[in-house]
Amino acid sequence: MSPPSSRAATGPPVLLTSVASAAVLDGRGDLELTQEMRGTPVDWGGVFGQCVRLTGPWRLALRAGDSDGSLPMSFLSAEPFPGGWRSHHRWNGFEITQEVAAVPEVPGVVRTLRCSRADGPPLPLTVTSSFAPFLLPVLVEGIRPHNFRVDTADEEVRVRQRGFGLSVRSNVAPNELFLNQASWIGGHFRGRLDEIGFEYSMPVAPAASSELTLLVAGGLDRTLDASLSAARAVVAHPDVPAAALAAADRAWLESTPIVRFPDAPELERGYSHARAALRRLYTSPGDDLTGLLAGFPWYSAIWCRDLAWMLAAVVWLGDFDWADRSVDTVLRYQSRSALPILGGETGELPMQISPGPIFFYGTSDTTLYYPLLIERLYRHSGVRTPTDGWIQAIRRMIAWGEARTEPATGLLRNGGEAEAISTATQSLAHVRYGIDSPDTTIWDSTDRRDHAIDVQVLWWQSLGTAAALLGETRDGAAARMRDLADHLAGTIRTRYVWNSEGYLYDSFRGGVPAERVRPNALRAVSAGFFPPELARKFVQRAAKDDLTTPWGVRTLSNQDPLYDPAAYHDGQVWTIATAWAADAALASGEVELGVDYLATIAARFDREGGWASECYRGDRAEPFDSCFLLGFSIAPFLTTLFERLWGLHIDARTGHLLARPAFPASWRSASIENLRCGAGRVALEWSPERLRVRWSGPGTLTVDGGAGTVSVAPGSVSDVATVAPE
Amino acid sequence: MGTHQLGGVLSLLRQGLTLGVQFGTHSVEALLWVAQTVEEGVYVPHSLTRTVEGIAFTLDNPLLRVGAFTSLRLRIDGTDVAGEFVRLRRGPGTPWRTAASIGADSSYALAPGDRTEFDVVGAFGHGTEALTVRLELRSPAIPPLVWFEFTETPSEAPSAP
Repeated sequence: MSPPSSRAATGPPVLLTSVASAAVLDGRGDLELTQEMRGTPVDWGGVFGQCVRLTGPWRLALRAGDSDGSLPMSFLSAEPFPGGWRSHHRWNGFEITQEVAAVPEVPGVVRTLRCSRADGPPLPLTVTSSFAPFLLPVLVEGIRPHNFRVDTADEEVRVRQRGFGLSVRSNVAPNELFLNQASWIGGHFRGRLDEIGFEYSMPVAPAASSELTLLVAGGLDRTLDASLSAARAVVAHPDVPAAALAAADRAWLESTPIVRFPDAPELERGYSHARAALRRLYTSPGDDLTGLLAGFPWYSAIWCRDLAWMLAAVVWLGDFDWADRSVDTVLRYQSRSALPILGGETGELPMQISPGPIFFYGTSDTTLYYPLLIERLYRHSGVRTPTDGWIQAIRRMIAWGEARTEPATGLLRNGGEAEAISTATQSLAHVRYGIDSPDTTIWDSTDRRDHAIDVQVLWWQSLGTAAALLGETRDGAAARMRDLADHLAGTIRTRYVWNSEGYLYDSFRGGVPAERVRPNALRAVSAGFFPPELARKFVQRAAKDDLTTPWGVRTLSNQDPLYDPAAYHDGQVWTIATAWAADAALASGEVELGVDYLATIAARFDREGGWASECYRGDRAEPFDSCFLLGFSIAPFLTTLFERLWGLHIDARTGHLLARPAFPASWRSASIENLRCGAGRVALEWSPERLRVRWSGPGTLTVDGGAGTVSVAPGSVSDVATVAPE
Repeated sequence: MGTHQLGGVLSLLRQGLTLGVQFGTHSVEALLWVAQTVEEGVYVPHSLTRTVEGIAFTLDNPLLRVGAFTSLRLRIDGTDVAGEFVRLRRGPGTPWRTAASIGADSSYALAPGDRTEFDVVGAFGHGTEALTVRLELRSPAIPPLVWFEFTETPSEAPSAP
C-alpha cells in the first residue's frame, strides 16, 4: 500500500509531544523512524498516546491517475513551527504542505495536508493513510499484538486490543477502508490485523487549497468516549492544538532561569538544549498521573528512578508544582503490603507507572531517591512542614530499606528482585517468561550484587534526609535513622577504599570486594565521604582513559575482563556517568576537569540536534542501543550546572542561599536570572571580585558567598564576597 | 490441584484483592490486559506439534525483548538440544537456518511482531505426554538472558494429503 521510501534520513529524529501524546518521525514526511535498537534496526515511528504505542509507522501514499508517490519521495523541505512540524512536498504538479502536531486533550497526533496546483485542470488526488496498530504500553518493548477488533461508526474507526484502543477520524470521509491491504466494507472485524488503511479522495483545483485532516488518538479505550467533543474540535480546527502547545511551552520557558556563561558559550547552549529537551518529557497522560517520561522512543513511560533524577532538575528550573504532583503520583503507588507478582515489598516505590494504572515494582534503589527529592522540593519551595501523608510515606520507605539492611555493617542489599518475581509467577501461567537480570540498580543489566557502592551512598543520603525531615520523633525513629546512617558511613569509609587501585570498590559480594572500576564510585566522592586529597585522587583515577573517553565516561573500565564496548552496562559510555564525573570533579575541586566533562556533554547535545542519547559504544562515539532522548542524559547535567558549577544551595524555608561558584580561573563573568527561591526570584551576577544579588522577595534573603554573607532586602541589590577561583 | 498450586492460587487471590483495594479495580483489569497480551502474544497457542522427525512450534513475537541475538539455546524437558538439530525461519517461503549458525557474526534479529517457526529434530517424550519447551536468547547489547518456557502436549501434525 505504501511505496518504498526513496531517501535516507539525514537529520536528527523529530519528536513532537504533548503532555499526553507524541509523534516520532524521521523528518522526511511520514511518521517513520528506523533506529538501531539492541543491535537491530527497528522502526519506532508512529503515534503514542497515554504511554501506549498506538501505531507502527504511519504512512501516507499518494496516487493521481496511474502514478504512485509518497511524502518521502516528494519531500522538498521541512521546518518546525510553534507547537508542531511542517514539511513541503511537490509531486506530479501538486504542491503539498503537511503539518503534524501532538494533541493533549485527545491523546494523539493530527496531520493536515494542504494540497494545491499551480495550474492545469482540477485533478483528484488520492491519499491512502495506513499503519500497523500496536495498542500496547511501550513498557512491553518486544511484543506487537496481532489480534484486534475494528469497528466503524459515523465519525470514526475504532481499533481495540483488550482495554487499549485508538480512534481514526478525518475531515473527509474515506472512500474505502482496507484491512491487511484488502478492501473492507466496514462494520465489525475481529482477528489478525497487520495493517489498516484509509483511502481519501481530494479534488485539487488551481488557486484553491484542498485540506485533509487526520487524527489518530487513543490509549485506554475507556477514555476515548469521554474525549469525543475534543476529537471533533481537533479535526475541525487542526491548528489549535499546536498553538496551545506553543503557548504553554513559552510560558514554561519564561518561568525558568536564564543562565549565561560568556566564557563558555557551549555550556550556555547545553543548558538551553537540555532545558528544552526536558520539557518534551513532561507527561500527564491520564488516570491523574503526572511526571516525566524516561525517554524516547522506547522508554516513553514514567520510570520512577529516572523521574527522581529529572525532578531534581525540574526543581532547579522552578517548576515546584510539577515536581509536587509528580512525587504525589509516585507515592500513591507505594506498596502497602507485599505484592510478589509485581515484585513489590512493603513500602517500596514503583519502578514504572503507566495509565491503566499499570505499575511494577522490583528495583533496589528507586525508593531511596524519594526522601531526598521531597527534602529538595521543600527546601526550594519553602514548605516548612511536610504533610503527614508524605511523612508516613517516608517512614515506609526507610522501613523498606531497613528490611534489606545487614545490621552488622549497615549495608543495604541490592539485587534479587527479578528472581523473586519469577518465583512468584512460576506456577501461575501456562507460558512463562523472564529476563535473567539478577540485579536491579541503575546498571540493571549487569550483576553488582550485593552492596553496590552508589546504592549504599544513596541509602546513607536517604537515611540522613529522612531523619531531618522527621525531626525529633517520639518513637525514636529519626534517631535510629541517624545512627544507622552513621554506622553505614563508617562502613563505606573503611571498607570501600581500594588502595592498590587508588579508587573505590564497586561492590561487595559474600564479603569479597568487587574490584571493578566503574563511575558509580564517584557518587561517594560527590557525597563528601572522603577528605579533599583522597577525593581528588579518586576523581583523577576515573579520568584515566580506560574509563573516560572523549565522548563521555564508560560504565566499566576497558581494562576489565568483563568489558565489552557494546554491553549496555559493561562498557558503553553513558552520559549520566559523565555527569557524575563532572559532579565529583567539581565537588572535589578539580574544576577544569569538571568543566571539561560538562563541555563533553554539551557537545553531544549540539551534535544531536538538541537531543541527548542514552548511551554510546565504549570504543567509538556512536550511539548504540540508545534512545535518542533520555531524561537521565539531560537532567543531571542541568543539576550539576546549578549545584556544582554555580555551587548553589537553596533553603527557602529559612531564606538562605549558599553560592560557592566553582568557575575556572580564566572565567570573567557568569549570571543567572529568574531563579526561584520559595515565592521569590533571585538573580545572580558573578565576576571574580564579587557576586551581585538581586532579590524579589518576599522576606530577606541571606546569601553566603563563601567569603562573606549579606542580607538582601526584597526588591534590592547587594554584593557579597566570594572565594576567588584558584 | 496440589498443595503448592493451591498456595499459589490463594496467594494470587490475596494479591489481586490487595491491588483492587489499594489501587482500584481498573488497575487489576489493566494489569491483566498486559499479562494476557504477553502470555498470548508470543507462543502461538497449540502450535506445538509432532513431526516426522521431531517437533515444531511457532512464535508470533520476540520474547519480551527485541534485538540481534547472538545465541539461541533450546531445552526440552530440561535437556539441551544441539543447535544443529534446531531449525528456524520467519515463515513459509523464507530460508531455514540452524540455531548453531547463530553467533556474534551472524545474529538472529527480532523486531516487534516478528514470527519465528521452529522445527526440531529428535525424539522428545512419548505419545501424549506434555513437553516443557524452554528457549534462551542472549543479546550482546543487553547481556542478561531472555528466556521463555511453556508446557504443552504436542498435537500430531496433519498428515500430508
